[in-house]
Amino acid sequence: MGKQNRDGGWPYVRGSSWTEPTAYAVMALLAAGETEPAKRGLRWIRATGRPDGGWPPKAGVDQSTWVTALVALLPPEQLGASAHARAIAWLLETTGRESTLTYRLREWLLGNPRPPEQEFPGWPWIPDAAAWVGPTSLAVLALDKEYRRRPLPAIRERIDSGRRFLQARMCREGGWNHGSVRALGYESRPYPETTGMALAALRGIRSPGTERGLAVARRFLGECRSADALNWLRLGLLAHGQLPADYCHPVGVENRTLPDMSLGLLVEAEKGRDFFLA
Amino acid sequence: MVSIVRAPVYDQRLYETVRRMVEEHGPEVRGRRVVLKPNLVEFEPESSINTHPLLVHAAFEAFRAMGAASVRIAEGPGHRRNTLDLADAAGYFKTVPCFEDVFTDLNLDDVTRVRPARQFSRLGALYLPNTALGADLLVSMPKMKTHHWVGATLAMKNLFGVVPAGIYGWPKNVLHWAGIHESIADLHAVFPRQFAIVDGIVGMEGNGPIQGTPKRAGVLVAGGDPAAVDATCCRIMRIEPFKIVYLQLASGGESHITERNIRQIGESLSAVATPFELIPEFRWLRMENS
Repeated sequence: MGKQNRDGGWPYVRGSSWTEPTAYAVMALLAAGETEPAKRGLRWIRATGRPDGGWPPKAGVDQSTWVTALVALLPPEQLGASAHARAIAWLLETTGRESTLTYRLREWLLGNPRPPEQEFPGWPWIPDAAAWVGPTSLAVLALDKEYRRRPLPAIRERIDSGRRFLQARMCREGGWNHGSVRALGYESRPYPETTGMALAALRGIRSPGTERGLAVARRFLGECRSADALNWLRLGLLAHGQLPADYCHPVGVENRTLPDMSLGLLVEAEKGRDFFLA
Repeated sequence: MVSIVRAPVYDQRLYETVRRMVEEHGPEVRGRRVVLKPNLVEFEPESSINTHPLLVHAAFEAFRAMGAASVRIAEGPGHRRNTLDLADAAGYFKTVPCFEDVFTDLNLDDVTRVRPARQFSRLGALYLPNTALGADLLVSMPKMKTHHWVGATLAMKNLFGVVPAGIYGWPKNVLHWAGIHESIADLHAVFPRQFAIVDGIVGMEGNGPIQGTPKRAGVLVAGGDPAAVDATCCRIMRIEPFKIVYLQLASGGESHITERNIRQIGESLSAVATPFELIPEFRWLRMENS
């Protein structure tokens, strides 16, 4: 709470307010029952929403981005129903550039075959760029939560295609890199953060690929010394009931940023995990 | 002017080597703000993927000794989100005293929207970090590496790290859609006051900038014109600089990168030339094939 800026938002470390740390801080405070600072954070979030329904990474940036998925993870009764609905609508309308009609038509006219991994639309970090594992995982988590409230076919369709996007981008050895499974013939290697995020988004999906991903996540969990990575790995393993019962958070791993700390608190508490996995 | 200095290993002698190297060029830094921009990519302290922290600290001390009002280290990695964890794993916390006090994560810095002085890509205006924009001298400190999209990644390509991933994402994919070479040239045009020190002590060859293999070249290359520094590095790596598109774009008429137009001091190119292995798609870049 001491890190909250006067405008109601939070910085990553210090300085001006950004959407990502503010969304995570609000979730952590709501889970802890600290409603007053959370309300100020929610006011900041509502005030920074853009006319297209999305959210910018920070106030003053005139572009809606992936952080809209984090806003959509906030409860509509806290954020406000209309702001929440706009966030969901923005997510439903947003895809990676490689999935747009214009791009596909251009590629077809040029005679370029469509790579199998581009068959299913995912989400980009920022519109007009390609879809990636991180923003796709967050968007799937937000839409999955929304589908439990409003089981609409349009939401189901994007969840399913987002999950297929993730499954198509699983590294050969298991787990997930940021994007393609290979570049110029070289296999991409999995990262802990993206592996945890993708596993969380694939909750309920049982497949040999998911099992390989879980094995990679368990290996990373024993090796990794980054708070952000460990948070996502735990969440990913929890989503599949696979977090080892004797797991102990390693000593000496520092929370470098506010999202590190907030996400850590959320993963620790059942109420916190509900923001992602309820 | 571009200088080439032999530096066989990462040890304490680097402090003296870098101090002399920078003083020889004499950039005006007294009372000015200097920002050192290393290349941090992956959590692999023993590999040749990141700019070595000892070199960065040697530059830090050199600019301070020359009277800079402030010297900061700043980087915005394109792949991994947790920059401080990455810097820790790369050895920066151990090597640079009070590292967190002198470091800025460019991915999460406050930003200003700017339009490059010369525009080669379709990017238009770009949000860039205030720490980099406010520098009186931006010192690009890349690793000497081959690159699987552009052939070689050196001082100019290293400026991709100033583009804030907090705005554009990890990786900074908008730059790829706008044209990698063109975006490099755009960024070069945004920062008129630059210096470059290239870590070629152990570089990377093959499938760089991430999955390549270490290549010992045993040199540092420095100068006030990043295009000339990069062209010199290419010649050391036995890559034809005129075949690197971003060098052609940024050098405007190629005069900056023509060998006879670069005043070179220190070791001769022939004495330090170390052919870097290229992936098959880029073997046509070899000087021998020109």
